[in-house]
Amino acid sequence: MPVFTHPHPFTTDKDISSAEFWSRSFVERDETFGWLRKNAPVSWHPPLETPELLPEVHGEPGFWAVVRAEDVAFVSRNHELFSSDSKKHGRSVMFRPTDPSLMPAPTFLTMDPPEHTRYRRIMSAGFTPKAVNRLRGLIEQRAARIVDRVVGAGEIDFVTEVSAKLPMMTVADLVGVPEELVETFAEAGDRFVGADDPEINGGTDRTQFAMQQIRVLREIGVDLVRHRRTRPTDDIATALAQAEFDGKPLSDDDIQSAMLLLSVAGNDTTKQTTSHSVVQLWKHPNQKAWLTEDFDGRIAASIEEFIRHASPVVEFARTATQDLELGGQEILAGDKVVVFYASANRDEEVFDQPYRFDLRRTPVPHYGFGGGGVHFCLGNGIAKAQLRALFSNILTKLPDMRVGEPEMLQSEFIHGIRHLPVVIPD
Amino acid sequence: MKIKVDRGRCTGIGICESVAPDYFEVGDDGGLVLLREHIDDPQRAEVEDAVRACPALALSIVED
Repeated sequence: MPVFTHPHPFTTDKDISSAEFWSRSFVERDETFGWLRKNAPVSWHPPLETPELLPEVHGEPGFWAVVRAEDVAFVSRNHELFSSDSKKHGRSVMFRPTDPSLMPAPTFLTMDPPEHTRYRRIMSAGFTPKAVNRLRGLIEQRAARIVDRVVGAGEIDFVTEVSAKLPMMTVADLVGVPEELVETFAEAGDRFVGADDPEINGGTDRTQFAMQQIRVLREIGVDLVRHRRTRPTDDIATALAQAEFDGKPLSDDDIQSAMLLLSVAGNDTTKQTTSHSVVQLWKHPNQKAWLTEDFDGRIAASIEEFIRHASPVVEFARTATQDLELGGQEILAGDKVVVFYASANRDEEVFDQPYRFDLRRTPVPHYGFGGGGVHFCLGNGIAKAQLRALFSNILTKLPDMRVGEPEMLQSEFIHGIRHLPVVIPD
Repeated sequence: MKIKVDRGRCTGIGICESVAPDYFEVGDDGGLVLLREHIDDPQRAEVEDAVRACPALALSIVED
């Protein structure tokens, strides 16, 4: 049952809800977030403008914007106060309002402990430091192949030819998809994530198009999990095959939602960080030279700055479970609370000159994997392994690449680059 | 001094293992295994780093 949500008087005249606001650049948007960080760290706003979904249908009166690092951490770490349970609240964990009649199947992203813990535990076996180390060799091989393919390629789109390639292949490898199906699986995952984009759905009906991709992911996932029930190994498919809830194995629907969650969570995040970091490294040749000088010694800390600066995931939402005060505002039980990680990553209180891309920062307590707590990014280790493998190849094999102007994605959720024209001379 | 794990908060992310591998290991089932509970003085700083690095705030150091 949805919890009753209250309207509040607007606390500032700043707009962060209109489609026009989200069509501006990251830097322009952060002028507003910067003002909020300074003057109104917690503020009430009308719901995000959604031309495709009328406010009468989603029924959300508005949301609290949490923009300071300290508060983002507080909300993230106190799941008892700020819930992710979409079933209970009839509301997703996204800033973008969703049609309550079309709520996606729950995943551990949309659960609270203890249910969250039980579901996450199944998948987390695939993401332990040891599991990441087992995959490292394969990630390095794939990264080398991806970059080798574009050496001397001339004018290409760096996003489609490089950044987009490794993440879904790595998801496929984590799941344990056999080599001959990796491309099919990766392509379906990419298309599912990009189903709203006319460039990707080819102008066909987006729901139909998304359903087709779901069918591919489901079929491969279900077949593989069935196979692993008799031939276990050390991948996520095996973990799903062996998982039991109340004495029952996972259903085909459970397996499907696991595949979808991995496709969404493991995809844009690493892809966008790759593209943004190429732009920044090429814009700052002295930083690039500094990193290249001692790649092995400097890459680990540099990756943290890559992620902070890129801030690929802009926000997530929670629902307050009780009346409480935050940032001088009275939040009521049932209110939607949006944590803006991208704003926390530019918080002047935490990061000196937050706009500078500065690989020498140490430590970099960024919010790129969330604000801590039980929903901290499960894939953080695998993301770092991919970025390390990619940049070790990019920096050594594409030294003379020329990087053009990025074409940005318009989204309130992902800070993304749609296309990045580059020239890679012979 | 010894390490305490709040099992209700731990999600087996494994950052502790990458900081202090002599003390922490995430098992194949995704659960955290404490390899040693008592902290040796020379490794005190390392263990403190691991405790602070836990994004789930599941770790603490307590008196014996």
